[in-house]
Amino acid sequence: MRVLGNELAVFPVILTVTPSYSVSFGIRQGGFLKPGADLYMNDQIGVNSTRARFQALCQSLRPDLLRFAFWLSRDLALAEDVVQDSMLRAWKARESLLNEAAAKPWFLTIIRREYARSFERKRFTIVDVDELIASEEPMLAAAGEQDLADLRAAMFKLPDEYREPLVLQVLMGLSTAEIARELGLSGAAVLTRLFRARKQLRALCGEDTSLDPEE
Amino acid sequence: MMDCAHYRRQMLADPKNAGEQLREHALGCPDCNQFTERLLRFESRLERALRVTAPAGARVRALRPAALRTGGLALAASVLLAVVVAGALWLAVPHPSLAADVVTHMADEPQAWRSTDVAVPPPDLNLVLRDSHLRLTGGAGVVSYAASCRFRGNRVPHLVVQTGAGPITVMVLVHESVRQPVQFAEAGYRGVIVPVAGHGSMAVLGRGPSTDIGAVQRIAARVLDSITWIP
Repeated sequence: MRVLGNELAVFPVILTVTPSYSVSFGIRQGGFLKPGADLYMNDQIGVNSTRARFQALCQSLRPDLLRFAFWLSRDLALAEDVVQDSMLRAWKARESLLNEAAAKPWFLTIIRREYARSFERKRFTIVDVDELIASEEPMLAAAGEQDLADLRAAMFKLPDEYREPLVLQVLMGLSTAEIARELGLSGAAVLTRLFRARKQLRALCGEDTSLDPEE
Repeated sequence: MMDCAHYRRQMLADPKNAGEQLREHALGCPDCNQFTERLLRFESRLERALRVTAPAGARVRALRPAALRTGGLALAASVLLAVVVAGALWLAVPHPSLAADVVTHMADEPQAWRSTDVAVPPPDLNLVLRDSHLRLTGGAGVVSYAASCRFRGNRVPHLVVQTGAGPITVMVLVHESVRQPVQFAEAGYRGVIVPVAGHGSMAVLGRGPSTDIGAVQRIAARVLDSITWIP
């Protein structure tokens, strides 16, 4: 893990210690960059507008990207690492983002690759799903959402190949074609996986599936 | 003629994008109608379930790479220090609130704030509202702007209602729940986010520091009264 590199100033969680940056900046701005902040930052702390815009972009997308990485990895700590490393990688590759409107799928691709890279680099231990659910309980049963805990636990039990397209569709709002492009599948294959994902998930949650079609 | 198995298979794959043919089938088939209602209820729960929020307390690492555990002491110590510092700073930084995300979204569509008495044609308005399973009756006022916007991973209706106090923006956030009404003043916008029983919440806001929060609240109540939820 690299820390305190100058380029890491783009992230809300890591601050540089170079004199031109104030430690209070990140806290004052929080995780949310107000409109007009570019100008403010240019005037006040000399950050160029590209960096400020990129920072704002990262900050606005980070919550959803972190959620996506969490459902991908089923591990909050790993998800945070993956998102952090992905944003660093994204900053370095920012020239390839031609249109800010397409930033979300662009980041998703980077996150998926970074997650895959974490498997290549490191050896993982095998963990029982029930243990995994127990270990991530605070995340799964966030305050006031106990009624959703069972559904979240069931999501943990879905095979990766079904969980990922479902999260891309429901959480990230991607269309079937976008998911197909992201996962390198045909549209028909994506629809089949989504169908099986919901069917299995509903059964795992004890929903009434009497009207569900057979495979 | 589409059969029930095909309809249900399609709906299970993509329940929010039912085409004309699918909707026609559901209208004429009570079983599929019932199936759809159950599925959409489940879908709403699923959407909320996926929107996890990170807890502020200690985290448990369940699936950590072995390499990190066996690394050199110096590396481990520096990594630990970095994680502790970053974690502490992260916890100290206020995360984007729902209000902040709404305000951020406003900056993307400045054209919506135009003052006009030209209403969006009803078919266009209904198209925008359809995905969120609602309709608006005339009591809401002149809706001069209607767009289906991507917000926090979902499509939501973004409307502008013309009032005596100027244009007021309304976002119907069926996927975002709040426990009680929240007022906010952020980056030149003033508004409220109000809970909508069983249907998430609704953000209503005006632009400019002189925005009358009372007028915003009245619009919120008026729009709420004008909503008819549809299956």
